[in-house]
This record gives sequence, C-alpha cells and structure tokens, in this order.
Amino acid sequence: MDRRELMTAGVAVAVTATVASAAKAAASYGMTKGAPDIKSVGPLAFGPAGVLFVADPVGAKVFALDVGAGRAMAAQPVSIDKLDMRLAAFLGAAPADIAVRDVAVQPGSNIVFISVMRGSGAAAVPALVKIDAKGELSQVALTNIAFAQTTVEKAPGLDDKRTAGRQPLRSVTVTDLAYTDGTVLIAGASNEEFTSAFRRVAFPFNGAAQLNSLEIFHVSHGRFETASPITSFVPYGGAGSVLAAYTCTPLVQFSLTGAAAGSQVKGKSVADLGPGSTPTDMLHFRQGGEDYFLVANSRHPLMKVARRDIDKQEALIKQADHVGAARKELPQAGVSRLANLGDGHVLMMQQDPAAGLSLRSYAVETL
Amino acid sequence: MPSRPSDGSVVLGWVRKRGVDRLSIAGLALDGGKPPRGLAVLPADLVQHALKTPALQPLGGRFTASGDHVAFTPRLPFVAGLTYAVMLRGEGEPQVWKIERPRAAAGAPAEVVAIHPTAPEVPLNLLKIYVQFSAPMREGDAAEAVEVRRLDTGELLEDVFFQGRYELWDPERRRLTLLLDPGRIKRGLGPHEAMGYPLVEGTTVEVRVTDRFRDAEGRPLAAPASRRYRVAAPIREHVDPVRWRQLWPAAGASDPLEVRFDRPLDHAMLQHAVRVTDADGAPLPGRVEVAPEETVWRFHPENPWGAGPYSLVVEPMLEDLAGNSPIRVFDRDLERPEDAPPRPAAPIVMSRALAPAAGKVA
Repeated sequence: MDRRELMTAGVAVAVTATVASAAKAAASYGMTKGAPDIKSVGPLAFGPAGVLFVADPVGAKVFALDVGAGRAMAAQPVSIDKLDMRLAAFLGAAPADIAVRDVAVQPGSNIVFISVMRGSGAAAVPALVKIDAKGELSQVALTNIAFAQTTVEKAPGLDDKRTAGRQPLRSVTVTDLAYTDGTVLIAGASNEEFTSAFRRVAFPFNGAAQLNSLEIFHVSHGRFETASPITSFVPYGGAGSVLAAYTCTPLVQFSLTGAAAGSQVKGKSVADLGPGSTPTDMLHFRQGGEDYFLVANSRHPLMKVARRDIDKQEALIKQADHVGAARKELPQAGVSRLANLGDGHVLMMQQDPAAGLSLRSYAVETL
Repeated sequence: MPSRPSDGSVVLGWVRKRGVDRLSIAGLALDGGKPPRGLAVLPADLVQHALKTPALQPLGGRFTASGDHVAFTPRLPFVAGLTYAVMLRGEGEPQVWKIERPRAAAGAPAEVVAIHPTAPEVPLNLLKIYVQFSAPMREGDAAEAVEVRRLDTGELLEDVFFQGRYELWDPERRRLTLLLDPGRIKRGLGPHEAMGYPLVEGTTVEVRVTDRFRDAEGRPLAAPASRRYRVAAPIREHVDPVRWRQLWPAAGASDPLEVRFDRPLDHAMLQHAVRVTDADGAPLPGRVEVAPEETVWRFHPENPWGAGPYSLVVEPMLEDLAGNSPIRVFDRDLERPEDAPPRPAAPIVMSRALAPAAGKVA
C-alpha cells in the first residue's frame, strides 16, 4: 500500500468511526430529536463523542446537543479578523447587536463553535455558529437536532401560588461550564443572592436528582472567610482538581474528589491577580510535558501560571496585591475567551483596534 | 408581493408565508429559472465592507425562484428597523438595492422605574443595587452607563461595580443587578487592601443611571435617573428574624400582617423569600407589599385570617443590603465566634395562632 492509499484508508476508518459515535451520542446519552427550547446561549463545553454542552442563562438550563462528532481533522491555524462584522453580516444584524458569548473547539474535528446572541430584550435570538477549517461560517440548526437538557436550578421559594403565572425576576446566570469524567461542572451567579453555588451534574442527564450543589468557601484570607460566585474555572489533571477565579478576584484551587453533595469544599487561594480587573476565561494546556494555565483578564494582561507553582504555593494567608503563585504576562492583548485547539494550539478571541474582534490560534510552544 | 416592474428596475418587498417573513425580489433576470448567481442579502450598513472583504459571508438563508420572482428566506428572522441590501455581483459593477424592515409599533423609550435600595442610608459594605426599567434593555451598557459620584467633592468614584463575564439581568432584561465590587468590600483581599471600599463612609453619594443606557431597540433612555445615599457604618451580622416585630391581625380580620425589620433588607428577595403558610404548611394566597426603605413587609391575605396557626417562613437566602443572611455573615471574622460557623441552610419557621379580636366571642 503506498502512502496515498494509506491515507485514504485512514479517512475511511475515521468517517466510519464518526458515524458510529454520532449515532451512539443520540442513543446512549438519552437524547431525543426535536427543537430544544433554547432561550439564550452562553458558555460552551464539549463532552464525549463531540456532544456540545450549551448553557442557557435565561432559561437556566444546560443543553447537550448532538452536533455530530465531525470528521477527524488536524488542527489548522486560525486567523479571523472582524469577527463581529462577519457574524453581523451572516446573522443579519448591526454589529452592535452581536454579542459573542463563548468560543469552543470540538475535539477531533477541530471545528470552532461560537455562541452568539443577536439583538437583546424580547427580540434577542440565540445562535450557534460553526467555523470550519476554511473559515466558512455555518449555523447549527436548532430545529431538528438530538438533544438532552438539565435544569440548572429551581429557585427556592418560587413554588408559591403567589408567583404562579408570573415570570420570576430571579435568574441564575451560568458563568462557566466544563465537562470532565462523565460530569458537567456548572458555575452560576444569581441576580439576587450572593452564594458560591457550584453544581455537578452527571452526564447522561438523569433528572434533577443528579444535581449536586456545593458551597465553596475559601478560607485563607487571614482572619476572614468569604463565599463568592465563581466567574470562570477550569478542571485539570482528571482527579477532580479545579482552578477557579472568583467574583472577588483570587485564584483558588480546590479538589472535588470525595466531596459529598451539599458539603462545603474548602479551597486554597493560590494567587491574587490584583485590583480593578476580572478574570474572564481560563484554560489548561500542556507544554513540554508540564501543565499550565492561561487566565484572561478584563484589564490585566493575559497570564500564564504553571501547575507546579500552584501545587507548591502555600495557601495565601495575607492577601496583597499581585501575590501568590508565579505568573508570566503574555503579549497577546485584549483576550476575552480561550479555547484549546487540539493539544498543540490555543485559540484566543481578541479585541484589537485594527482587526476588531478576532480569533487567532497560537502554538503552545510559543506561549 | 411586489409586481414585476416593466422598466427593468428591481423592486423589493416583504412577504409572509406560513408564518415566515421573506424578502421578495422582483425584476431580476433569472438564471434558467433559478435565482441568479452572485445574489446576496446583507445588512445595508455592511455593503461597503462586503465589497472590500470578499470573505464576508452574507446572511445565512435560502433563495427560491417562483415565476419571475426571487424570494429570500433567512435562517434567523429579519430585524425590525434594520435596512437590508440585496447585492448582485456579476461581471460589471455590483448592483445594490435597499429596503428597510418596518419597525415594530414603537412604544415610548425605556425609562428607569426604580432604583433599589430606596433606604436613604446604606452601609459602607453595600453589596447590591437594582435598577428596574420600564422595558427590556440592551445588554453590555451597564459598565459605562451607571455612575457613582461623591457629592461633597463631586468626585466620580472609580471601579465601584464588579464587571463580570456577563451582566446580571432578570429573564426579561428589565431589571439589572449591579454588584459593588466584592473584592473591594471583603476585608483581607487584594483589591480591598489596594483600593479600599468602593464607597466612602460618612459621605453622600449619588448613583446615576445615564442615558448612555440603550433599550432593546437601541434607543437611549427617556431620561437619566438617580438616587442619593448616605453611607453609614458597615453591617456584619446575621439577618436574625427573631429580632423582627411581627404585627399579626386578629382572627377574622382582613388586615395585612406587618413585619418590621431591624434593618433594610434586599428588595428583590423580599418578594419571594418571606411568605406565610397555613397550618398545613401551604402558602397562603395573598399579596406581598414591601414598604419604601425596605424595612417593613406586609402580607395582604386574599381571605380573612382564621385562628391559624400560621407560620412566617423565611428562606435562608434572604440578604440585607450588605449580603448578610440568616445563615452567613458576608465576610466572616474568624476571631468572632458569634459569627461562626455558617448555619444550616433551612428555612426559618415562626408559627403563631391568632386570637379573635377583643370583644368578639369565639
């Protein structure tokens, strides 16, 4: 068999595997075909067999969508300028009415998925847009797709007859979402009470009973203990370890292993990234056989932190500006979203004065 | 459907078929009965950009030809008030025709209905402000459009509000929740150490919602709105329902139950986190009223009160203005045992049997 034949055979195998796994996704993950009632789109994450998890902040649900596992493709470099303009043209709206909510890359196919809200208020329309290796946009049809769903949270006290038939004002915005080891991890923030509720839902979804609720306290601020919603987090290492950024800035490492539902998990503050900025996204990647994290910030530069520095960091006792695990500032400016593009690249959504909103990939060895 | 013009010009129009709006294009030369190649629909403002950037994809959707008309059905509904362009790129100069999508019957621009808390005095560690609008609003403006000014010096206070990944709205996008930066409120954290509290104790501040805020249709607010607060000492203790004064009406009366708090509580949560249940634990039908300044809560029963017993049930999530709740002090001092540890997250139930009004015989 010459090289060309070998490649053809390889593609044929990949295609067969894709079809099989897509069918498996629908059947074995409890999905049914139809039109999911997605009211809004927010954070994205990929699960097994290319299943896409989409958080619906308005509907307070997480949907699992069978978007097809796609054909296995090596990661191609991505460089897309004026993403907001391109989405506005494609979705038919003014650029000011386009809000990109999240970016994720499907493992294996390396297709980029973007969650976008077009317009706002009653006229707001959610959209999921795919970008293929050639930079071509297409929309994920949400009218006839295999899906499953789970409710993020039922508000306590709202079962009340007084509120029946009225739209409750309280909502839980899903601030970040991840999938690891058969579990969807969900961080949310309420528009009313201020708690650090963090949820773990087994996938396939199996009713509300699968919902775990964890209160997370980070205790290491010297004399003070605080609870706070998580704005962004990333699981790593496959053993229940999570690195999280809180509404009150510090980076906290905690372990979910053995944590019973409803219990408090005491996290370890490992870094304080300083005032006036909010972490907007986090990512885990491997470089030279070691684990690293990227933290995108609303005002501070993009930061890189090594896992070894987090592991050896003593829990911070006295928080002060820019303390804790060593971090390196990276030159990529205006980064608001991060996604792994295969093992070898990181995709960044950047706001740039010249290129506008852009998507660019960077090889991990350059970071 | 617009009729095909005889002079060779192209006429655009809107048609609705099976509940879906389409853009109808009359007067195009068809390509063997099919829509011509190089035909595209775009938001009109992006036409110049599309001409310079060949990679810019036009609206997702489908062209169909029927008789001598072409119709475009978009993947997503057309946007009211937006002008669309039909562009035909062929051999020569691109040809462009434009049409505006009719605006929905325009209501009045949105205005601010309320800013909560309405208490004139707030603690230094005030955690939340709610802004209630009359109509759905556009997201993404909050960081720029809400200001806090110190009235004695006129100074605009910086970085007062937390700016997260997403703004916190109710499902209809009429009520915005603004968090004062918790990193600056919580003692011991880096932002607190570096910048101090977002507010200044002993001063009066003005929270101003400016008309940079846009409603869902992109129009500025009808008028700016503001509220002033005196900034008092911080509050760091549990919300304790046992300290509330409960004024229960007599059995047989239809008066409201009145509960007076020892401090202002969260306006939003008072709507649903306090309720009255009957002897079986079922919520009593009636209406909740939160009096101005958020220190008095009234429950107007639908039916006259019986003998009970009734219960006043308080959800553990209920917060005061500084984020303290019955189960948690907002930032807990580990050296104060009275604040420790977080209490069980169960509703607090206070039961009461009602006596008949004096003079009446049971």
